[in-house]
This record gives sequence, structure tokens and C-alpha cells, in this order.
Amino acid sequence: MSETTRIVQLYPDLLGVTGDRGNVAVFETRLRAAGAEVDVVAVGIGEPLPSDIDVLVIGNGPLSAMRRVGSDLHEKRPAIAEVFTSGAVVFAVGAGAELLSHGTISLEGERVDGLGLFPFTVTRSRERRVGYIVADSEHGQIVGFEDHAASWQLDAGAAPLAKVTAGRGSIGEPGVGAGESIRVGEAYATNVQGPALPLNPAWADAMLTAVLARRGLEYARTREHERLDALARGAREKILSLAHVTQITAIGL
Amino acid sequence: MSEAGSGASAPSSRTARGGRIRYVPAIAAGKLARWATRLRGGGSAFPGYLTNKLAPSLLPTLAGQFPYGVVFVLGSNGKTTTTHMISEVLRAHGLTVFTNPTGANLPQGVTSALLADATLTGRVRADVAVLEVDEGYAADLADVLSPKVIVALNVQIDQLYRFFETERVADMMLDAATRASHQVIVNRDDPYLSKIDERGLRGKAVYFGASAELVQASAHGLVNATDTRSDVAGIAGRAADSEVVSTRGREVTVVLDGAPIDLTLPARGLHYAVDAAAAVAAASGVLGSKFRAEAAAAGFAAMAPAYGRGEVIPLAPGRDDVVEFVMFKNAPSLQLNLDAMEGAPERVLMAIDEGTPDISWIYDVDFDALDHVDVVSGEKAHQVALRLAYAGVRVGVVEPDVAKAVELMRALPGTAGRRQFWLVNYEIMMQGRKLLGHGDQEVARR
Ligand SMILES: [Zn+2]
Repeated sequence: MSETTRIVQLYPDLLGVTGDRGNVAVFETRLRAAGAEVDVVAVGIGEPLPSDIDVLVIGNGPLSAMRRVGSDLHEKRPAIAEVFTSGAVVFAVGAGAELLSHGTISLEGERVDGLGLFPFTVTRSRERRVGYIVADSEHGQIVGFEDHAASWQLDAGAAPLAKVTAGRGSIGEPGVGAGESIRVGEAYATNVQGPALPLNPAWADAMLTAVLARRGLEYARTREHERLDALARGAREKILSLAHVTQITAIGL
Repeated sequence: MSEAGSGASAPSSRTARGGRIRYVPAIAAGKLARWATRLRGGGSAFPGYLTNKLAPSLLPTLAGQFPYGVVFVLGSNGKTTTTHMISEVLRAHGLTVFTNPTGANLPQGVTSALLADATLTGRVRADVAVLEVDEGYAADLADVLSPKVIVALNVQIDQLYRFFETERVADMMLDAATRASHQVIVNRDDPYLSKIDERGLRGKAVYFGASAELVQASAHGLVNATDTRSDVAGIAGRAADSEVVSTRGREVTVVLDGAPIDLTLPARGLHYAVDAAAAVAAASGVLGSKFRAEAAAAGFAAMAPAYGRGEVIPLAPGRDDVVEFVMFKNAPSLQLNLDAMEGAPERVLMAIDEGTPDISWIYDVDFDALDHVDVVSGEKAHQVALRLAYAGVRVGVVEPDVAKAVELMRALPGTAGRRQFWLVNYEIMMQGRKLLGHGDQEVARR
């Protein structure tokens, strides 16, 4: 293993339309603030995944982008499966999460195959779930924005990471009590945007603690973390105050 | 041009006078509703909605009323600006223009505009209609209003909760474009739009764009959406009939059909220059041989900046310092406005409220153009400040209350440049104008 902690973002051009670079920025900035050496690699279609991946991020995009990356992603399956089993962190959002699941069935009944690394299958719905979301998890209260038309059916034995207290969620009947996000080892799939990690530093830190522990290092929080988290706290308080009262209707679908 | 009412409005003149009188109750009800909503202090689409319900056949009668026809302006960004530009160029040619106010781009918005200008029998005395139209309604409205010219500006990643699939947005514009009777003005620098199927068009395709050198020199290009569905992610190679070839601040040169036209834009930025190339092409399409480059330049020179798009307002009465509003509604418009900055500004306010529900995309924007922001405000102040912190941009004060933020900006010492830049979403732009004493409710385009 090299000295440097390596973050890889897959298909940033095609799957990166909901501020997914923000999740990469959180991993990068917080690792650097903790004293780690970091390099960030963008991997597109036709480019090989580097070795020694500590964090793999795959973000959100339209169905057409999911189709577009399909064959390249399937060629990369062995390398990505190895990232899952290596204990590295995987953070997959929206369409990226769907591509790592068993697959997605579109409204027209078309199936987009995933890699089957997360234990769920996605059915696209006519109704779009849009608005602030709050959910309780082992990493504390997760807050963010959801904007998707996807219902996740979990495999037998799989359980959601978080339970929705405001908003709709991705798993089960939408609304309070629904499930949101899923965890397999250090790999996470979610429909929480915002992007998720700037708004949820405790969740990010849990992942980063695991990233450095795997290298025998300790994740040390600094004043820089405190400065960022004070702003995150302000953002979270506002979202929590609005999450129960704001209704956003999706039109044009 | 006073001949407007005679010859070319023949289709509606053929309607018996008694036929038009049937619109009086609906238009009167709509005008009354419009007056009532304005008293209440809002520019509402309700009057138009009411009138469309009472008299569904009214809107189609607009189609034949304009001797120079109807122009539609479609696009993810720049509709308002381009509609304004086309209108001013046509006015500079002596035409009377009917247009819809900023953002009133749904069918009820068009009818509301009609209510403001029409007689009780639904007559509008204008030579031409220039309308910005929401892409979701463009094809249906084209069937009703039979546009002569349709301008397809761009497909950019916009409010995702409305149309998540950019290819759908592209198809809505391309579908509407097939209905233009005379010309479709198409962005050749847009990956989706540049691939327009010319064989499917009734009108002629006319292309506009910026020279390759200008696009290359722009920090993030033109930020049009990547084509995710075809084998070519980028643009199809098309020659531009109307091309921006140089920009020096607000001074730009557009070459239309081989002839250079020097224009002074109301605001800086390559995106405005590209809108201008679209606007002169559209005006030329409307006017044909009557188009004159000098009149086009005069139209631009007479143009006041639209609200929030390069508009400059004094920071306080009696002070030399001014506020330049820089409005954005999504990642591409914010990025292009930042890229148009000439050096990092000395005084900056950035504010977003809940009028923009999801701002995940601010993490897709590069903030290299800023070294600091003095005050961050609006309901989303902390979310914005958090993003700026991760971007390494210093933040002075986080003050969610906009009125207090404005006071903080006023209290800052003046600078040599005597100019503050307020980067804001639409709602805060309106609020900010009001706090500076420019609180007109209705957003007119006159
Ligand atoms: Zn300053």
C-alpha cells in the first residue's frame, strides 16, 4: 500500500450532476486536515481503475448516463468488487447506487443491469420524491435533500441504514418510517443529496476513521474540522426546522 | 408601424365582430382579477389562468394578429435576456412589440400578458409577439400560436426536480422547433441542439454560436449539458450563421451572414454574447430584408439591463458605491457569471433562499473567481457558507436575515472600485432591490 490515501471518483462527467464533487471534497478536505496525504483520481469510460483505492465515489445522473456507462462499468466489475472486499470505503449516490445494485427497472419496463454488489433492486416510480429528508441512523441523524423516483427492494436479510423521520425515503412505503440508504461493510448506497457528506460530518468521519484505521492510522480531528462543522451545524438546524413543514411538488413528469 | 391592425391580422378580422364580443366577459373578468392581484402586490398568473378557463379559444386568436408573426424563445438559461434583446432590436426597427413579462412563460402567463395589453375584445395592437416559453409547454403552445421563428438557446442542467433527464428537455425543444413556419434559430455549440434533424423541420435551421477561440478561452466553456444518449457526447460540427467573434467586457462583435456587427451588451459575459448572437439572428429572421445592423446596434445600446442581470443600483442614497446584481438559478448560470468576473471582486454578498429548494449543485460550481465573500445570507446561508468553506473561499459573516445582511454590506468601507457584487437567486434579487429602494412589483420588459 502506498503512503498516499487515494480517492477515486467514477464517471464524474456523466454521473455527477447533484453536487457529487462535494462528497469527494469532504473526503479530501477532512483527510488533509487530519494530516493525511491525499490524491484524487477521476476515472472515466475506457480508463482503468487505479490500484490501492481507499475511497470510491460514484454519483448521480440521468438514466441515459446509466445506460452510457453500462458496458464500461461491467468491464470494471472485478476491480470494483475487489474494492468492496478490500475494506475500502464506497460511497454511491442515486444512479451510481443503482448501478452497483442488482439493477434498475425503468417506467417503460426496460432493465438496466447493475453489478449486484449492493443487495437491492430498483423500480422507477412515476411519482418523484422531492424535498428535505431526515433519517435516524447508527451515525446519528442524517439530513439532506432527496430528489428521485426510485423505490429500492432489498434482498432477504438486508436492512436499511436509516429510518425516515421527515421526507419520503427510498425503501418501503414513502414517508415517516420508511427506510433510507444501505450499508454493506464500509460500502454505502444512498439517495440523500445536499450533497450528503458536507451536511453529515459525523457520517463522513465514521467512514474516514475506517479509511485510516485500515492503514493503521488514527483519524485526528482538528480546528479545521470544527470550523467546517460549525457551518454544517447551522445548515442542519435550518433543514431540521424546515423538513417537517416544506412540501415540494414535482411537476412536469 | 400602424398598419399592424390591417392586412396581416386577416384571420381574426374575418371573425364577425359579434364573434369577438364573446370574449368581453372573460377578458373583463381576467382584467379585474389582474387588477385585484396587483393591488394585493403580486404578479400572479391567476388572471391568465381564469381567462383561459372562461375563454379557451381566446389564446389561439392571438396567432393571426401580428403582421410580423410570433417568436418563441426556449432554453434552460437566457430566455428572459434573449427575449428582451430580440424585442429591443425589433423596436429599434420601428416595430411595436407584444411580449410576456420575465418568467411568465406558461400559457396562463402569456394570457396574463395579453390581458394587460388587449382591448376588451382581445385585440393587441402590436406588429410582432416575442415570447419566452417554458420548454414543457412549448410544443402545445406552438400548435396554438403558430410561431414564425423559434429560438432554441441551450440545454443545461436546470432544476432537476422538474426535468431530471436533460435529453427530455432537449426533445421538448427539438419537438417544438419542428413547428416554426419560417426559421429555427439553433445553438450550434449545444451538444443536443446542434444535432437537430433538419429534414424534420418546416422552417430553415439557422445556427448561432461563439468562435472556437472564445469558447476555449472561457474557463468552463459554455456549460451546456453533455449529450448522454448518442455516441458523440459533444457538438455536431455546424457552421454558424451568427457568430460571436470577439468580446471586450460588454463590447462584442457578432458576425451575421458574413457582416460584422458591433454591439454593447447590457451585461458582461460570454453567455450574454451568445444570447446576442441568437437575438440578432432571430430579429433578422423576423425582419428579412428590413433588418439593419445599425438598428440592431441601436436596440442593444438602448437596452436597460433586465432585473438582476448586470443591473446596477446605488448602495445607498447619496453614495457613489453601487451594487451590481448577478442573478443565477442553477449551476450553469452561476458558473458563467463567475467566469465573466474581471478579477476577484472586492465586495461580495452571496445569498440564496428557499425559492431554490435544492442547491446540491453549488458543489458542481468552481469558485476560483472569488477569493472571499464578505457576507453570506438567505435561508440557505449556512449551506452556502459550508460550500464556500470546502472551496477554500474565505467567508466574512454568515447572516441569514437579508435585511441585516444588506446593512452589513452598507457598513463596509468603500473601495477604489466603488462596486459590490451581489450573487443572488431570483427571490433575493427582488428582495434586495426592494431593500435598496427599487421595489417595483411587476417585472416588466419595457
Ligand atoms: Zn471584502
